[in-house]
Amino acid sequence: MKQSAFRKGATGIACFFTCLFFLAVGTLLLILKPSELLKALLSAEMLYSMKLSLLTASISTLAVMFFSIPTAYSLSRFDFSGKSLVRSILGLPMAFPELVLGLSLLLLFGQTPLGSGLEALGLRVPFSKLGIGVAQFFVAFPYAVRVIYSTFEGIDCRYEQVSRSFGYGDFETFRNVTLPMARGGLFASAVITFARCIGAFGAVLILAGGSYMYTEVLPVTLYLNISYGNLEMAITSGVLLMGIAFLAILCFEHFEGEKS
Amino acid sequence: MRALRKKELEKKGLKSRALDRKERVGQEQAMAFLEVRNLELNVGGFKLHDIRLRVEEGDYVAVIGPSGSGKSLLLETIIGFYSPKAGRIFLEGCDITAFTPDKRQISIVYQDHVLFPHMTVFENIAYALQKKVKDKARIKAEVERIASLLEISPLLFRRPKTLSGGEKQRTALARGLVVRPKLLLLDEPFSALDVRTKERLRAILKNAIREYSTTVLHVTHDFDDLWALADRVLVIRNGKVMQEGEPEAVFKRPSPNFVAEFLGTNLLKGRVRNREGNLTVLELEEKSLAQASKPELEMESEAKSSLLFYSADSGKPGEVVSLSIRPEDIILAEKALESSARNMLKGKVKVLTKKEHLVSVSLKLESGNKSDLSAISKAAQASPGFKAPACPDSKVSEYSDSKASGIELKAVITPTACELLGLERGKEVYAIFKAANVKIIR
Repeated sequence: MKQSAFRKGATGIACFFTCLFFLAVGTLLLILKPSELLKALLSAEMLYSMKLSLLTASISTLAVMFFSIPTAYSLSRFDFSGKSLVRSILGLPMAFPELVLGLSLLLLFGQTPLGSGLEALGLRVPFSKLGIGVAQFFVAFPYAVRVIYSTFEGIDCRYEQVSRSFGYGDFETFRNVTLPMARGGLFASAVITFARCIGAFGAVLILAGGSYMYTEVLPVTLYLNISYGNLEMAITSGVLLMGIAFLAILCFEHFEGEKS
Repeated sequence: MRALRKKELEKKGLKSRALDRKERVGQEQAMAFLEVRNLELNVGGFKLHDIRLRVEEGDYVAVIGPSGSGKSLLLETIIGFYSPKAGRIFLEGCDITAFTPDKRQISIVYQDHVLFPHMTVFENIAYALQKKVKDKARIKAEVERIASLLEISPLLFRRPKTLSGGEKQRTALARGLVVRPKLLLLDEPFSALDVRTKERLRAILKNAIREYSTTVLHVTHDFDDLWALADRVLVIRNGKVMQEGEPEAVFKRPSPNFVAEFLGTNLLKGRVRNREGNLTVLELEEKSLAQASKPELEMESEAKSSLLFYSADSGKPGEVVSLSIRPEDIILAEKALESSARNMLKGKVKVLTKKEHLVSVSLKLESGNKSDLSAISKAAQASPGFKAPACPDSKVSEYSDSKASGIELKAVITPTACELLGLERGKEVYAIFKAANVKIIR
């Protein structure tokens, strides 16, 4: 069958940019020798950065999931005044430059009674490890809400109504019916959230600062080392971030494939 | 079926919830088992308007009406998924209007099953019970009992996605029934199934309903459901109850016109001419609506006509009425026949439609046919064994005017009868029906 010019053109554009992207990623992988990569990986700074990244991203992911599930559920199932405003505001950080989000958070936790109140309780957010988690949370939260919201929207609410008709309350129905039916979407959301948390840079840099071996997470390691001209360390952290993102996308695609 | 179930209830010593209720409520007029009063609701594009409904315990009520008429919305309001804007719902004398669905003890079964995909068949059915029954052994026994009744015992450990449509529907019915609900709501449960599966499921459902002594409200588009299962029928249009009663009565005497059209009745508009003994003679009006359910025919049917029909119903001369004749009540014959039927009309076959195990014949009453009573009488006389009618004027309907064209009658016959008569498009036949089967609708 003869292919139309439009079809050929569109496919050609897709292939061209895929190759370009592949080249860019390949360059990152090919510049360092395996021994240099291994040496950088095992350096104290990289190990610290990896541990801190994994720890903060894991905690942030749990926190994001804990709060985004009820948020997305309420947006999907319940009607309340100002619902569309809530939805817009929650989605805003997705369009926000991360640096602006970081600055806003720095002002919120540094210059307002909320920040001083938390500090009085021993919870200092700006320029601390806690700040990393807070920044990651705010970066990833809107994405998680969006993915989970679309998952709940995809579940016919009659399943819940049928469960209610058997005597189960709202929460029991949510626990027994909705959550198990949404588990694929929740898993995908957790993966995306983790990838967003571990890759968050701008907001983390502004709120938590980029202190060497203190608030240094993988993107900060990349930034600091490229500033010093230490390409090996910068590239290694880049490779690690890319690997994590690649795994996340694989998981997400797997879920999407299952869903369809 | 209703009387039978009542007897069974009494036999089981369950009686008298209705009687107790009468005493409890202590009202002048006993409250029905399910009573819906002046229900009003508007959800999206669907509306319920001033719905009033009384369902007695043990009744099997079929709810019919065109798509979008609010049938499913009515069920979902009764179960508590929607709160009405106005009106009240009483179940066993108790006002449940403000109750959440978990407090109503009503089950619902949907056309698309709505089985929980993450649970097995057993878990789906057991889930319905677990809130009510804590003893695991009893839950198991109850699930096995209903599974055996609905013939799904071998499927208990399979997931819904591995089941066929009929198996899924039986599972959904089992889940709905196992809790012994006060009221079971069925929202077109068989519409996605093939004819054989439907027939089998009807029999299984009938048996299960009898066993569990449940009151049922069943939304359906399939009249076979209605004939096989229902004690009563409720016709809804645009969120309003148009007619309710026993199926036979509603089909024989559909009122208003919409119900007749919806039920596929031959609906003709006419005027009462005079009375002849016990019969009413009706003359078709100029704008007769033949088969108003087929709008394309209305145009054709606007021709002048003065066909006469005989009805056993009473009517005042000059009164404008609609006539309803069930397609099943019309006999087709190749020749004019001597019979007790008061109406005999000559026409040509216009359309033959095979419909499951029946054939629907659209008959166009001949245009330009100068034949009148005498012509048809001659034809009748020419047929072997003809005897002069005892009541000469009323033996056959007459074509008194050549412009009696465009009027259509639909008859339903078996494929064998169709073959015997050699029916084909354009073939002339006689439509014969009794005056008792011509119902006058006002």
